[in-house]
Amino acid sequence: MENATVESCRECALRPDRLFCDLPADALEAFDSVKSKVTVPRDTLLFKEGQAARGVFVVCEGKVRLTVCSDDGKRLLLRVAGPGEILGLSAVLSGAAYEITAEAIEPCQVAMVRRKDLVLFLREHREACLQVVNLLSEDLHVAYDRVRSVGLGRTRKMRVAL
Amino acid sequence: MLSPYGLDIIESCLTCKMRAERIFCDLPTPALQAFESIKYATAYPKGAVLFVEGQAPRGIFVLCKGRVKLSICATDGKTLILKIAEPGEVLGLSATVSGKPYELTAETIDPCQVNFVKREDFLRFLKDHSDACFKVAEQLSEKYNNACHEVRSLGLSHSAGEKLARLLLEWSSKNGEAAKQEPRLKLALTHEEIAQMIGTSRETVTRLFADLKKRQILQAKGSTLVIRNKVALRALATNG
Repeated sequence: MENATVESCRECALRPDRLFCDLPADALEAFDSVKSKVTVPRDTLLFKEGQAARGVFVVCEGKVRLTVCSDDGKRLLLRVAGPGEILGLSAVLSGAAYEITAEAIEPCQVAMVRRKDLVLFLREHREACLQVVNLLSEDLHVAYDRVRSVGLGRTRKMRVAL
Repeated sequence: MLSPYGLDIIESCLTCKMRAERIFCDLPTPALQAFESIKYATAYPKGAVLFVEGQAPRGIFVLCKGRVKLSICATDGKTLILKIAEPGEVLGLSATVSGKPYELTAETIDPCQVNFVKREDFLRFLKDHSDACFKVAEQLSEKYNNACHEVRSLGLSHSAGEKLARLLLEWSSKNGEAAKQEPRLKLALTHEEIAQMIGTSRETVTRLFADLKKRQILQAKGSTLVIRNKVALRALATNG
């Protein structure tokens, strides 16, 4: 990858443009201490639907494909996530399994935060918690749009009688 | 006292007995007191519309009693029911937080008690009370999981039969019926509404029900359904 890895969030030049990352200094410092930064190659599976939620992934660089899967392996694209987004948030906060599959479609830099650390971090830093609420609301809007297009925009075909 | 719609209105959250079991409502006392001062306790009859898809967000609605139907609409008027919200759920949350129009339509299907909080008040409340903020994040997460689930079932299931079987299994897993040999469920929705939940026509739902009964998988006793053959229903749910 041509971009040098920015290890600390405090030194990240892109921070002000990003929804989640634009946090006050103390919250940022706390975040720095709980995250672990990884660079992953293309086609890396960050997490898979049905897996117990280990933690969240903040996308620093690159793009990640989010899909849902049926039992027989058919896949449906939910959306493509880009820098500044947190993935796996809803699963981590509700303590459930990951609802979706996240896969890097480019070489990506991600910051991973474990479940326990994130919950603690959010409880202590109100601003971060508010950001998370904002992000989740945005995610939800996109998801509802997707429901609308999948559920109401589809032509009737393949209706196999019982 | 006899109240309209047979609803017993709970005026204060501080003395509400159901609070402990509800995800959002179980707040520490200071947050609860702050919430108490900004909420309006209101009652609605069956069939009342709380908010309409596309409307600018006025605020949130905490459902205290009764159930609410959440649906989305296509431009040609086709309706899809996303969920039947149960007491304890906060409605209109993501629109209120993001300031975007409501993305769903919420309509009561029972007489309901709803606690309304205005948008500005709610946003200030969230800023001041981090516990509440965390609860909101949890609620949003659950809604998001539900939406993903919906996308999966609508986009990837083969047939209406498969989707109906899934829905019946889901309903029968509530209220401790799941472990029983022949779980019962109360059918609170019309065939039309079930059709809107699984994205098919009313006629198809009626036909599917008739077929399930003929095959002895289901038995109807008034408005209560008994699942006679759970194994067969599960087989239908997995491969149509």
